[in-house]
Amino acid sequence: MTEEIKPDLEIDLKGLLCPLPMVRVSQNISKIPVGGVLKAVATDPGSLADIPSWARTTGNEVLRVDKGDKLYTFYVKRVK
Amino acid sequence: MAEKTINRELANVINVRLNRQLLYYIDICTRCGLCKDACHQYVATGDVTYLPAYRAELIRRVYKKYFTRTGRFMPSLIEGREPDDRLLDELYRTTYACTGCRRCMYYCPFSIDTTWLLGVAKAMLLEAGRGSPILTELAGAAVMKGENIDLFKDVILESLKDTEKEVQQITGDASAQIPVEKTGAQAMYVALAGTHTILPVAVIFHHARLDWTLSLFEAANYGYFLGDNKLAKTIADRIVDEAKRLQVTQIILSECGHAYRVMKFLYEAWAKEKLPFEVKGIVEVMHELVESGKIKLKKDSIAEAVTYHDPCQVGRNAGFYEEPRSLVKAVSRDYREMTPNREKNWCCGGGGGVVAEPAMDEFRLKTGMKKVEQIRATGARIVVSPCENCRLQLDGLNEKYNLNIKISSLMDLVADNLVAQK
Ligand code: SF4
Ligand code: SF4
Repeated sequence: MTEEIKPDLEIDLKGLLCPLPMVRVSQNISKIPVGGVLKAVATDPGSLADIPSWARTTGNEVLRVDKGDKLYTFYVKRVK
Repeated sequence: MAEKTINRELANVINVRLNRQLLYYIDICTRCGLCKDACHQYVATGDVTYLPAYRAELIRRVYKKYFTRTGRFMPSLIEGREPDDRLLDELYRTTYACTGCRRCMYYCPFSIDTTWLLGVAKAMLLEAGRGSPILTELAGAAVMKGENIDLFKDVILESLKDTEKEVQQITGDASAQIPVEKTGAQAMYVALAGTHTILPVAVIFHHARLDWTLSLFEAANYGYFLGDNKLAKTIADRIVDEAKRLQVTQIILSECGHAYRVMKFLYEAWAKEKLPFEVKGIVEVMHELVESGKIKLKKDSIAEAVTYHDPCQVGRNAGFYEEPRSLVKAVSRDYREMTPNREKNWCCGGGGGVVAEPAMDEFRLKTGMKKVEQIRATGARIVVSPCENCRLQLDGLNEKYNLNIKISSLMDLVADNLVAQK
């Protein structure tokens, strides 16, 4: 069973196209405390590579990605 | 470091870029003001700091202060200025707001390229550590993806499986494919992130029986918008290296105006090498496929009124006016032209990376007013535009101003109106 992650903030990125999923994650991560988790639900498959790449470049961490039917849920931990 | 030394180093950014073209742009402006009514941002806001000539003037004044004799001894005589915090704040606001549409250049009697001058401004801002943070992050993510492509390859390929199934359904051919990493393919198509720019093209290429392969990278280049040519080249290198490795003879860039500009007009100068393949945009390729009879379009199949928005980077800055129009007109029963159009077309307000900057959302939608007026005047229900940035902006304008229109890419328009091949 996958461990439940309690997010500090949830954002809906459904229907948004590149670069907006990354932009919204970047914009919202600053709203949670360091160590907190942002949950983002996207429909753009491009975000599967984009959001983890964004996290690596900004020094944050993608804890988990859940893939549903054309729905991708990211749990991003704010590291700094 | 002392403030004076820092300012001199910043001013030196202009000096190291000084060539005949830049000197001409710095010297020749007569402040005639003809560019005033050409800029959608000035027209919509009435804010003089958005005048094209004013934005460029900030760079001119720094140049005059440091690199002219009068400027060195009596800067006030020629309004020379130091690149201090106040100037840099203003430069940041006006430079990263510019969409790079070059409408001002078209109307300037001396063809002064304000965007070029603002490229120097961006270099100065970067030197001062004041580059756009969001564009820096997006460019960094693209580089990171390039460096770690093996980590992402599986998820990219997996997400393509669904798209491939859709291609098979649409074409009625269970063997239809989205080829990836196909060595020796004639063309490599560079899409944008997501599958919406892959599906229609895969359908079109299947109909045309084109020998192609899909790039693992996206065409967009936020390093270019940031104004960091080195970073922009690194991002473009991902595509160039892949194309070289696969030995394709042509790369075809998706409907992304600035990506085409980077690859077609800038990359070779940055890399100081001639690319061993041809660079094309999907707009010209679709036009060629129709002209050569490789694909056929359903004539007059759209009954609703259709108009076409010339993306600045496809029209004014690359010269494709008639090719996209011939495709749109072929399938539209009621085609309506916006006024003005072609080289005089108004920028939609979404170029230059401003769609990526949340702090600019309000400004961006406000400065799209000219485009809103143009669309309304046509009475069209469908607006076609072959640029992702333009479409993002048009979506925003549609929502904010209740335009009640459908925005379509040219790829979708073509793919949805193909005559089935025997
Ligand atoms: S139109 Fe050209 S010369 Fe006239 S003010 Fe604008 S930039 Fe200067
Ligand atoms: S390039 Fe376009 S947005 Fe930039 S100053 Fe000129 S008209 Fe205005």
